[in-house]
Amino acid sequence: MTAASVARRKPMSENPDMGHPSGFSGDKKSNGAVSLPRMLVRSLKFRRARSLSALAALTVSAMVATALLTLYADLDAKLHREFRSFGANVVATASGAVALDEGMLRQVQGVVGADVTVAPIAYAVATTDRGTSVVVAGVDFAAMQKLDSWWKVDAWPAGTNDALLGQRAAGFIANEREVTLSYAGKAVTLHGAGRLSTGGDEDSRIYVPMAAFTAWTGVQPTVLEMQVPGGAERVNAAIAALQRAMPGLHVEPVRALVAGESRIVDRTHSLMYGAMLLIALTVAISVLATLSASVLERRRDFALMKALGASQGQLIGHFLLEALVIAAAGGVLGYVLGSGVAWAIGEWNFGTATLPRVSLLPVVLALNLAIAAAAALFPARVLRGLQPAALLKGE
Amino acid sequence: MKMVSEAQRQHAEAMLEHAMPVIQLVGVSREYASRSGVVRALDDASFTIGAGEWVAITGPSGSGKSTLVNLLGCLDTPTSGKLTIDGEEVHAMSGSELDRFRADKIGFVFQQFHLIPYLSALENVMLAQYFHSMTNADDARRALERVGLGARADHLPSELSGGEQQRVCIARALINDPPILLADEPTGNLDAANQKIVAGILRELHAAGSTIVMVTHDPEMAALAQRKIALSHGKVFCHPVQHVVVKLAQ
Repeated sequence: MTAASVARRKPMSENPDMGHPSGFSGDKKSNGAVSLPRMLVRSLKFRRARSLSALAALTVSAMVATALLTLYADLDAKLHREFRSFGANVVATASGAVALDEGMLRQVQGVVGADVTVAPIAYAVATTDRGTSVVVAGVDFAAMQKLDSWWKVDAWPAGTNDALLGQRAAGFIANEREVTLSYAGKAVTLHGAGRLSTGGDEDSRIYVPMAAFTAWTGVQPTVLEMQVPGGAERVNAAIAALQRAMPGLHVEPVRALVAGESRIVDRTHSLMYGAMLLIALTVAISVLATLSASVLERRRDFALMKALGASQGQLIGHFLLEALVIAAAGGVLGYVLGSGVAWAIGEWNFGTATLPRVSLLPVVLALNLAIAAAAALFPARVLRGLQPAALLKGE
Repeated sequence: MKMVSEAQRQHAEAMLEHAMPVIQLVGVSREYASRSGVVRALDDASFTIGAGEWVAITGPSGSGKSTLVNLLGCLDTPTSGKLTIDGEEVHAMSGSELDRFRADKIGFVFQQFHLIPYLSALENVMLAQYFHSMTNADDARRALERVGLGARADHLPSELSGGEQQRVCIARALINDPPILLADEPTGNLDAANQKIVAGILRELHAAGSTIVMVTHDPEMAALAQRKIALSHGKVFCHPVQHVVVKLAQ
């Protein structure tokens, strides 16, 4: 062994006479000018276009996920609210000797809950001043207004003697201001306050205040129309409760409405899940393409790191971390934008703002990180198969 | 070349023969599978390189130089035979053991420099420290000063000339004090002036005790080495000591 080589292999501390071949001491104390976060930031800045492309894709994914999940969380309430405007979803009719008087109404309200709109209706067939038969319904206008908010009414009756005339029924009357009707030989004159147009049977009816109706006809309400909020389960529960508590009532759901509501809610949920899955896949493919290009572009850098002693884990970790940092940044950005989009959609479609849900942030971040990690799997395989020797030789 | 006596030459050869081998190959072969069958890129190579020796590996394209460099650089493992570097049997090591070993024992100098484009010269040198153990900016700066680039430490590779980039590469190769400097065509991409500078640095490093294994096509660079290992069709031909006496005399 040469004297020089022996001297060189000794650590500096043991060999004060021999300088380090590169002119620096062997004393290692970290002062951290090169660190993983620093390299990461530099690398992302250096490949600005690629980084921004991946960031844009992951921001869109987070934005869509946030918007859909925010709306999804609020969707049931919003759809049920919308369905409430389509009228009653439960109808109860008195059977036998049961009378739907005030006491019975209070009992019904007690069973179904205070949030259920209950509207009693009494029917009679009267004759108009033109001698035409017409169905007259005695109603509580306040309840009807809540129950049938979708009706097209030019002016709701406000006075005790005001009547609401169905579009077709109005044609059976000579004078809408002075509506004279006869029932069982007893005549009444009402003031036509407004017209009603629904395109259904309601257009052929005349609606009068319940007090005036019963005073005129002596007929008690026979039908209760109810609007139960909260979807099919709640409707069925209310019906069951009424059937148990009041066997004298014949209670039925308005099948088409309840089933339709349930179907639409379910379909909307499926649609949202489907849209989210589709968007996640699209974003994953886009991010995969960007990350693959990024690895191929930098395979010599990675080969160099490998030659300098980086382990496979370090290389993959470095690359994965880059993808995850972009995903996290895209997640936060997308969450903010998505919350804004959800608010705007809620405002435009349902007329009420959908507030941001902070609880969604971790979900959206996790989703974005999962997409980025999945998209990084293929490029990570490229890193595993890296041939530093050939790459550094320029082959 | 300075003339030396036969006695001096024999003395120098004897010194190298007795030098502790830092690299030892015994029947090392490396085969690759190809469409046309198995290709033996390195065929039954056996030689030793002593600590502090400067060896030039020469040979035409396809002679197996790159394969040999990959094996010596622990970037690849032999198909058969025994490869011992700095007393450790490399051929039996796992991938992760090779990574660690490479960081400790080998300093690479590449023909195409291979500096990370977004890191400064200083940070590029520190990158080798980072994958080895701990970073130390003062050491890295001194390494750059040693190759005459102290004033360019904070420049990006794109702001450096080819010669300067190669000097950064040399500083990076030496920062962890590896027992072997493996230089693959270190002056292949440089002009004459920069070739001289790099050759001068290698000469200084060798004088300070570094073991240098250098692949080169350049006869002038090869002439700087003490010994040539010529390759042809995967076979190794070791040349006798050429300049060791001159070096010792210097």
